Amino acid sequence: MTAAGKSEREDLADVDLVLAGDVRAFEGIVRRWQGPLVNMAWRYCRDRSRAEELAQEAFIRAWRGLAQWRRESSFSTWLFALAANVYRSDLKRFPTVDVPLKDAPEPSHPARQHHALAAQASSDVVRRAVLALPLRYREPVVLFYFHEMDVAAAAYTMKLPEGTVKARLSRARALLRRRFPQLEAEHAAMQFAEKEVEG
Amino acid sequence: MNDERRTNPGDMELDRILAAEEPLIPSSGFLASVMERVHEEAVAPAPIPFPWKRALPGMVFAVAVLGWGGFELARAGVAAMTTVPLTLPQISAAMIGPLQQTGWVAGALAVSLASWILSRRMVGRLG
Repeated sequence: MTAAGKSEREDLADVDLVLAGDVRAFEGIVRRWQGPLVNMAWRYCRDRSRAEELAQEAFIRAWRGLAQWRRESSFSTWLFALAANVYRSDLKRFPTVDVPLKDAPEPSHPARQHHALAAQASSDVVRRAVLALPLRYREPVVLFYFHEMDVAAAAYTMKLPEGTVKARLSRARALLRRRFPQLEAEHAAMQFAEKEVEG
Repeated sequence: MNDERRTNPGDMELDRILAAEEPLIPSSGFLASVMERVHEEAVAPAPIPFPWKRALPGMVFAVAVLGWGGFELARAGVAAMTTVPLTLPQISAAMIGPLQQTGWVAGALAVSLASWILSRRMVGRLG
């Protein structure tokens, strides 16, 4: 049995127990999915304490709505869609950043720092810049990379057609590329460094 | 990666940065805190459902009385219209000031009510 299959069976068993009145069985669900849900929330807001609050709220909504899970999709798929809905609603009410994308800070010049540190700082700036994208472009980016670059999974979580998600991803990438034109140069530098190490 | 393969170096760099995210470990108390809230929810009494069965006869009666009242009022109004000569009401100059003020107050109340209803609907739609 694969890990995913085992987890799916455990989820089903725990859901049945919870629906039969065993509150403690919900602990198994939280234990298995706390990591993914907190990480997903983190990608939405980049604030650790808020990510945990959001994930907690998602678990509570899941607890309340467990009977509404129709078992047409896997439990994790249902849980992710529910969590995305909670995160989206909360971020609409209390946005994370008010900084427009054009005002996102530039990464500091790599030549002045140790290369690894500079690369790390540059990556952090790009990740934070995702938060400055308009929500309609931000969410596909967040969920696409959360689902390990699986467009179908991201589309299912957002309840949008795959074509729409692809179009929004493409637009989001274009916005980020325009904001960070040095990405191409960094990619070339990275490839050069890798070749040097191999050589 | 599905069919999302790219050749643009900028996109490839974006993929490298955004896909390589350090996983965040939930804090040690997270599980306990979620379960505490779940237990609170479990022991909380279920919300009392609205007693439709008891309220329905009263509501039907109230609607009927209001409807009957409205109908009678309209009928009396129509009857009065036929008997009273059509002349403009005579309002004394002393009454015009208070009437205007009452009109402004009524208008302000109506605007407040409309904005309150609108804001509630907007919050409901966003939330």
